[in-house]
Amino acid sequence: MNARFINWIWHIRGSLALAPQQSSEEAFGRLAPLFRQPGTSHDRMHDTLTFRKKDQAAQDKMSIFDGGVLRIEKGVAGPVLHYHLTSRALLFCFLAPLLFLGFAQATLAIGKLEKPAIEAAGRKSPEKKAAALPQNPIDKALGAPAPEKPEKDGAGKSEEDRKKPSPTSAYVFAAIFAALYVAGRILEDKLVRTLFRKSLRGS
Amino acid sequence: MDGIRVGKRLIGTQAPVIVGWENIPRVEGGPLKQFIFTWFQPTVLFALIAFWYYAPHSIAKASTAIGIGIGFKLLLLALEWVNPRYESWRLTWKELVTDLFYVGLGYTLLNMIEKYIGSDAVIEAVQHSFNWDKLAWFTGLPLLLQAFLISFIFDFGQYWMHRAMHNWYPLWLPHSVHHYITQLNINKGAVGNPVELFLIGLGIGGFFDFLPRALLLAGAIGLAVGTYQHINVRFNTPRWWRFVFNTTEHHSLHHSQDFEATRSNYSGTYIFIDRMFGTCIDGEAELLGMEGGRRMSIREQMTYPFTEGWKTIKARFDKGQFDQPVPAE
Repeated sequence: MNARFINWIWHIRGSLALAPQQSSEEAFGRLAPLFRQPGTSHDRMHDTLTFRKKDQAAQDKMSIFDGGVLRIEKGVAGPVLHYHLTSRALLFCFLAPLLFLGFAQATLAIGKLEKPAIEAAGRKSPEKKAAALPQNPIDKALGAPAPEKPEKDGAGKSEEDRKKPSPTSAYVFAAIFAALYVAGRILEDKLVRTLFRKSLRGS
Repeated sequence: MDGIRVGKRLIGTQAPVIVGWENIPRVEGGPLKQFIFTWFQPTVLFALIAFWYYAPHSIAKASTAIGIGIGFKLLLLALEWVNPRYESWRLTWKELVTDLFYVGLGYTLLNMIEKYIGSDAVIEAVQHSFNWDKLAWFTGLPLLLQAFLISFIFDFGQYWMHRAMHNWYPLWLPHSVHHYITQLNINKGAVGNPVELFLIGLGIGGFFDFLPRALLLAGAIGLAVGTYQHINVRFNTPRWWRFVFNTTEHHSLHHSQDFEATRSNYSGTYIFIDRMFGTCIDGEAELLGMEGGRRMSIREQMTYPFTEGWKTIKARFDKGQFDQPVPAE
């Protein structure tokens, strides 16, 4: 119906009640330092402030946002600050699991393509010498375990196992980004609210 | 800014840097905190060496090494939280997500590619075409010597690759992206253009025949030393450690906004390689990055080497075509 049903993914909206006697002039004055950051440009028209950020510094307290609108409206109980901020970082984090699931699928597809080749190679590889590996007397005296015959000298099976591409890490990262998205969507919402509240109070 | 003379070079004329160990801030807090953040690095290094030296074969496997690596990084993340070196390097959600994106690429996409065209493939090809049994003497050396040699040879190769990246434009292009990071955190080592991550992965340490345990030991040394290159934790690094090993202090200087300072401390594990070749500067910097600390987006980090390379080629080509010929004298 409208974009609002999806765009909560990367849009953060909220409102904060100002102190009853606080004018919009004073409120924006207190918020101004937040927009005096490298890579940030902002315009003020009456009761509305629009900002854009490009290549914002990691140290910028609002670095997660790329743009937004802050508006002060008269409410029943006094002036209210409404904010609507957009974050590409949130959107990309939301989409990142898809990318990693894609990598997992690609890994599986490559594994399938390669299977016949590996099997053939595995059958061909001759048994190598099974001679025991040397151990330096110093290591023996210090009590290190005697070296084991490395697995790769054994049957072709372990070699096959070693070479078989595994999609596990891609699945793990998909899960990590899904969890990070949920955490970030909640955390950043709270952080920016606290930041605005503290700035408006001037503390 | 006046800068500080180090040998023939003037360091810190463009951005503030600290030179000399005596000027570097120390851990603040009670005796327990001082103790922990003085002895943490050597304790972990020796504990890991002892573990890999004595662990039975059933435990001494690559999967254990991966597990330890992940656990160690989680521990360091906690230390970053407790005792940051600089408040301005504090890890934020966005920085964490960005860094983990690169770590994820390393574990998935780059891993896949490495298998076909990277060092894995090269080593296999070389090992197949020569009779490497001639190098079997290597496996008879003491375990710790093997481990040191593996990590030293690898780091020596990395040193020259890294130094070349800072001195030859085609190699600088893919590496430059990594220098746009503006703070150090434990996963920042993974941030960079994939082309560079591929280049830096090319090592020569893998050519020798060695005991699998020696490789695990070498990996543990790399983990317990190299990880501190990118980390936001204040340590009172012991004197002997910073003489031998690369540290956050050295590497922050390498990442500083001062051009001259970035042309130092190229090694990954053994800073004495830099001392040998006269590129070591002992110091520290807080303000990091390029272009006055402009943070690059992931998209730009992916395309920058190619777009910049294209711009340079085009500029050269245009100049060649449209420049007025210089009259002969």
